Amino acid sequence: MESLAIYRVFKNGLRNFWRNILLSTAATLIMVITLMILTVTAFVLNLSNTTIKKVQERVDVSAFFNQQVSEKQILSIKSDIEQLPETQSVTYISADQALADFKARNANNSAILDSLGEFDQNILPASLQVKAKSLDQYPQIEQALNADQYKPFISKVNFEDNRAVIDRLSHLLHTFKEIGLGLAALFCFIAILVIFNTIRLTIYNRREEVEIMRLVGATNWYIRWPFIIESILYSVFAAVITFVLLIPIWNYVIPSIGGFLGLPASQVVGFDLAEMFLAQLLLALVLGVLSSLFAIRKYLRV
Amino acid sequence: MIQFQNVTKKYGTHNALDNVNLRIEPGEFVSVVGQSGAGKSTLLKLIFAEEPVDSGKLLIDGIDIHELADRDIPYLRRKMGVVFQDMKLLPRRTAFENVAFAMEVAGYSREKIQRDVPKILEIVGIAEKMQNFPDEMSGGEKQRVAIARALAHKPILLLADEPTGNLDEINSNEILDLLHKINQLGTTVMLATHARDLVNKVKKRVITIEKGHIINDQQHGLYQL
Repeated sequence: MESLAIYRVFKNGLRNFWRNILLSTAATLIMVITLMILTVTAFVLNLSNTTIKKVQERVDVSAFFNQQVSEKQILSIKSDIEQLPETQSVTYISADQALADFKARNANNSAILDSLGEFDQNILPASLQVKAKSLDQYPQIEQALNADQYKPFISKVNFEDNRAVIDRLSHLLHTFKEIGLGLAALFCFIAILVIFNTIRLTIYNRREEVEIMRLVGATNWYIRWPFIIESILYSVFAAVITFVLLIPIWNYVIPSIGGFLGLPASQVVGFDLAEMFLAQLLLALVLGVLSSLFAIRKYLRV
Repeated sequence: MIQFQNVTKKYGTHNALDNVNLRIEPGEFVSVVGQSGAGKSTLLKLIFAEEPVDSGKLLIDGIDIHELADRDIPYLRRKMGVVFQDMKLLPRRTAFENVAFAMEVAGYSREKIQRDVPKILEIVGIAEKMQNFPDEMSGGEKQRVAIARALAHKPILLLADEPTGNLDEINSNEILDLLHKINQLGTTVMLATHARDLVNKVKKRVITIEKGHIINDQQHGLYQL
């Protein structure tokens, strides 16, 4: 390919784009909508995964020990529990640590702190915090802690069973996910159809030119590339427009969701702006170029 | 330069060309005559590699053109120029731009295009209408532009398929004179036509086709149907 031919191919592609500006706009807008839906779906998917993980992290079983149980005893029970196949981790919280945590949690509440002073010794018990590998394994762990051999040491096993709530939440988010993916697929399909038809119309508009190009010995790529460049232009414009439209969401909506969940904004979506733009551009190019190649194959007998 | 060896071309079950043998030398001026549907256009289309040969060999400069890969066909076509009855000019471009378009496609530089197009239009006798659009020209003038376009990439062979089909007698004669002039400048010319008077004036080689067969081939022929 000589540079002169490349220049002319680009010039022709640009000219096609501007001469059919209404068609080009329609193709670009459909692509913008598709990219928007895909991006928002990606947000939701990521957000739902983060949320579920976050909620799951908060679930654990705690075993509180009687005051007189020695630390050695507790650590031996800890290693017993660690042997269980369901256990992911066991954290030992000593009585001193529990007191410190409690004070920290209630740092602003002088009434509570004052009432602590009424006791001449630490009334908070030592405890083991156990996490299971998966949600449905908590009952087994709870059972193990309630076994007769531990009865003399453990005063209370605390497991708040909010699995039902978590199940419902993850079910809901799963539904969101499916709707999002379904819409995304639908709009990808529509975008492909619209671009396909747009390119087909440009080919039709330029059928005389194409015929003459063939007569005077234009190579196939010289005939084809302007159409491909036209669809690359739709894709690039669409990616840029989508990016600009998403900036307000990025700047206002994401941080407020992050604030709600107690997460930094970067963790809410799981990707940064540059990554998002590149992904959109790539996807737009794939959609645009695929559908134009398809139209060219079908309607350009070169 | 062109050699048909037992060439057959079918459309469905109908033989448009049936076992044709033909040899055309460089620099010849050949008229191909016959009624509509006799196979004149098919003959030209095969040379231009627009349609594939069904059997036999078609050699141009010793190369069997229907053995050529698809991607090489454009380069074969740059050795030829074609002119049609319906001219096929781009309506929204001037005479200059129509010729320049062909040169752009063939990869000529902008400077060369600016320099050559006026010369070519001069040769076909339409330099003064350079900036006119096809709608502002007569049939004869449009055909001259089409011929100029066919000549733009300096072909060694000019194929003219009924170039005078839409023109009156005076214009037809002028186009014929122009084709002669081009031939004298060294380009081989093949003219397919059913215009009797035109052919009888040529006094050069005439090939007569009927129902896909060459029934007559005379060095100084007349229209014989």
